[in-house]
Amino acid sequence: MNRRVLILVAAAFVLASFAAAADVTLNVQEHVLGNGMKILMIPKPGVPRVVCHIYFKVGSINERPGITGSAHIHEHLMFKGTQVMGVRDYAADAKIDARIDELMGRIYREKYWKTDGDPAKIAAWQKEVDELVKAEKAYIVKDDLWTQYMKNGGTGLNASTSQETTGYYVTLPSNKIELQMLMESDRMMNAVFREFYSEKDVIMEERRLSENRPGYFFNEQVNSAFYTASPYHWDVIGWMDDLRKVTKQDLVDFHKTYYVPNNAVAIYVGAFDPAAVVAMAEKYFGRIPKGPDLEPIRDGEPPQYSEKRLYGEGPAPTSLQMMFHVPRDGDPDTQPLAVLAATLGSGGGGGFRGGMGGGGGTGRLYKTLVRDKQLAVSASASSRPQWYVGMFQFSATPRLDKGVKPEDLEKEIWAEIEKVKKEGLTEEEIQKAKNRSEAMFVRSLGSISGLASRVGRADLMRGWRSILTDLDALKKVTNDDVKRVAAKYFVKDNSLTAIYTRKGR
Amino acid sequence: MKRTIIAILGLLVIGAGLVQAQAQRPSDLTYPPLKYEPPSPKDFRVVYAGGLRAYVQEDKSLPLFNITAIVNCGDFYVPKDKTGLGTVLGDQLIKGGTTTKEGPAIEDRIDFLGGTLNFNVQDRTAMLSLSVLAKDLDEGLATFFDVLRNPAFREEPLKLAKARFVEQLRQANDQPNAVLSREYERLLYGDNAVTWQPTKASYDGITAADLKAFHGKYFVPKNVVLAVSGDFDKAALKAKIDKLAAGWKGGTPAFPALPKAFPVPEPGVYFVQKAINQGYISMGHLGIEDTNPDYYAVQLMNFILGGGGFTSRITTKVRSDEGLSYNQGSRFTYRWGLPGTFSGYVQTKSSTVGYAISLILAEFNRIRKEPVSDAEMDTAVNFFLESFADNFQTPQATLMSFANLEMTGKPMDYYKTYRSKIQAVTRAKVQEVAQKYIHPDKEIILIVGDWEPCNKGGDKWPGPLDKLGKVHRIGLTDPMTGQEIK
Repeated sequence: MNRRVLILVAAAFVLASFAAAADVTLNVQEHVLGNGMKILMIPKPGVPRVVCHIYFKVGSINERPGITGSAHIHEHLMFKGTQVMGVRDYAADAKIDARIDELMGRIYREKYWKTDGDPAKIAAWQKEVDELVKAEKAYIVKDDLWTQYMKNGGTGLNASTSQETTGYYVTLPSNKIELQMLMESDRMMNAVFREFYSEKDVIMEERRLSENRPGYFFNEQVNSAFYTASPYHWDVIGWMDDLRKVTKQDLVDFHKTYYVPNNAVAIYVGAFDPAAVVAMAEKYFGRIPKGPDLEPIRDGEPPQYSEKRLYGEGPAPTSLQMMFHVPRDGDPDTQPLAVLAATLGSGGGGGFRGGMGGGGGTGRLYKTLVRDKQLAVSASASSRPQWYVGMFQFSATPRLDKGVKPEDLEKEIWAEIEKVKKEGLTEEEIQKAKNRSEAMFVRSLGSISGLASRVGRADLMRGWRSILTDLDALKKVTNDDVKRVAAKYFVKDNSLTAIYTRKGR
Repeated sequence: MKRTIIAILGLLVIGAGLVQAQAQRPSDLTYPPLKYEPPSPKDFRVVYAGGLRAYVQEDKSLPLFNITAIVNCGDFYVPKDKTGLGTVLGDQLIKGGTTTKEGPAIEDRIDFLGGTLNFNVQDRTAMLSLSVLAKDLDEGLATFFDVLRNPAFREEPLKLAKARFVEQLRQANDQPNAVLSREYERLLYGDNAVTWQPTKASYDGITAADLKAFHGKYFVPKNVVLAVSGDFDKAALKAKIDKLAAGWKGGTPAFPALPKAFPVPEPGVYFVQKAINQGYISMGHLGIEDTNPDYYAVQLMNFILGGGGFTSRITTKVRSDEGLSYNQGSRFTYRWGLPGTFSGYVQTKSSTVGYAISLILAEFNRIRKEPVSDAEMDTAVNFFLESFADNFQTPQATLMSFANLEMTGKPMDYYKTYRSKIQAVTRAKVQEVAQKYIHPDKEIILIVGDWEPCNKGGDKWPGPLDKLGKVHRIGLTDPMTGQEIK
């Protein structure tokens, strides 16, 4: 019915506070397929390349205890072939793969369901699995999708998983968009998770890389202590024990539920003809059947009612982190909180234990704690309004050469917070935050893959136009708004304070 | 003019391939032809007052103004007792203010305008970059030239910067990757400006006079190349820049000699102890300069060996087949005027360290012994040819590439001839350069990890590690003093 309608949307967005010459438009062309999949297009004539991204509205918040890390594992498995790609003889391969799964199912039961599993049985099954894995190699075309993209000039080839979204990326010559449509629609419909068990080993190595970043384990605990009930409680990578025990069937179920066209947005930015892209999308993505509607996650993060404090020590730099619960993305309070974060934290350095940091140094925390009082090596603030829950965070690293402790910085930051509650910010500071947001918006229009990412992700939750309405809302923030949100959210009963002390070398 | 032509090309190519029959696999697809010619540097080259060279392009697509100055100076020109001067200069060129404005006033103003102003110092190049809205071009440009020409290096901000950098030294041994790359270079380059690390004493010894002298020597118009793009009129911009550069004097500076001779480390295993659950590994030796005529063949060879992501042999073997690692591959790094490094790399759990190394070694040997397949060659060549236009995605990136060519003295037809040089490489040439530039018998294997489990190995490759060559244990250095930690 609606399948051939090309909705042309040119959101005329005039940045009123600029001089007359600076009218800037975010022009996104939009087409919805009959199966609910959305195609967004931002034509940019010029170099004959097209950034092609697909985003799915699925991430680690769609997991549950026991299958944490699944969204990310699934992202890896999407590179492991389909009924068409990555295989020489699908029927023969499927037979071997099914036998491997059957044996691994037995091994998992023996290992993980029992406390006294029989090692001899496990070893015998494992031996058979090893032989089957060897035999299967004859049928597998290694990393077929990746090779096809590479030999056709694909760059920026990657995928990523966050709490809320999963994205698949490639930049191709303008005449080869069809390759992306073919292979992406194919893996949505026909994914086969070959080499599942060795890929889980790869992901455990990926988790170990994180674990070997000093302070990682403490940070993981801080995060899970901050979010108690919502699925933001675990990291995207998942708990190691879940990575070991998650089964292929878990992932097949995950795929069936979330990798449906009505849960996806494809976005194209670059030199192309939108009508041609729409026609191709109809042909390739249009052939995928619509899936069931998806319920938003049940977040239900409860109020804390009391302050939380965590202490840790280990091989990372001594540091302080203060976190506050704030509203989700789209709430009217997110804009005053963004102004506050920009004013307090600008240029103050990286995040928690962000290493070097320091940066531009125009934020209040930098000026007070780093420059004037010389108590901190770095100090920063950030506001993170996520889809279902939000977090406002202060981070600082003390000057150990002056005997400063994280607790001293905590007092100083509270003093800054109380000052904001009472006086708010200066008019100049608020105007600066507004100017910066507007200029950053203009700059973002020039970054081709950055634009694809921002528009594509935004579209999944509140629609891409939310980029414009948020900017509009930010421009209306007043000092009263700032004082009000500071008083409302920066209270001890709404906070978690984490203090980390370096121990040993 | 050139810009318009490119724009039209981009629009024409896609229409022809509309809606053919439903393809099932990539081999069913045919693509309309796409011809792309890269922009030519000479179309953008401008010389401003005082011999200040620039690559300039009007780009009216957004109301922005971008300018970067590349200065030929960096850490390699700093004497040993002042190591860290590049880092301090990187911080203080802006924060130290100019003769007429304090640093914070400059930062606050640029920030208020929604602009960005950044400066950083690398091995032999330093870059000052400004981006502002086009309406703020005049003010931004004036500030940019003020910072570039007239930094004041005030005492107070300098004192603070030094104290903060000394504090940050405490983190120098925290990240296994940082330790790995630092020690790998130390083994391959020896004791010279490439590998010197700052210490508390070297930071303490850096004075405002040092910064002034360094700036005075290298920040002269003949030692700078600009890249400028945005919403402006080229002729009007020339008048503005000529005015701002007027009276800026100084000839080409004399540069300190670069290190030419490097020690040949004894082949074998070098081990740095760190209580972590993986081994971080770099294995190889010095590589080549990117001016070497074999550069193109080496690019293709390394793509097949371990540089081409999942299409490369090391990734297929170590990650995809064996599930041993998340990150693995091989790389040639390049340095202006010095050989870069060649390395195979992987991070894997302690028990499979020896096994992963043995697999990478086997791939080093294989690419030397056997010609690569036609399919591998086809994928590699096509990748470089088909992705070529990526170099010119944004005007500023294109101009920066041209400015870098000029700064480093590379041929200005580098991009024009790039694809034909890639196409000229044969399978035999790939094998020839593998034999010429990969030497398993001369390589060092550096491991940062936990000794006991790494040395013990696992089922598929039981230790000890000295099966791979003589083991040398390396101690970490105390970043504050530069002395080995006992």
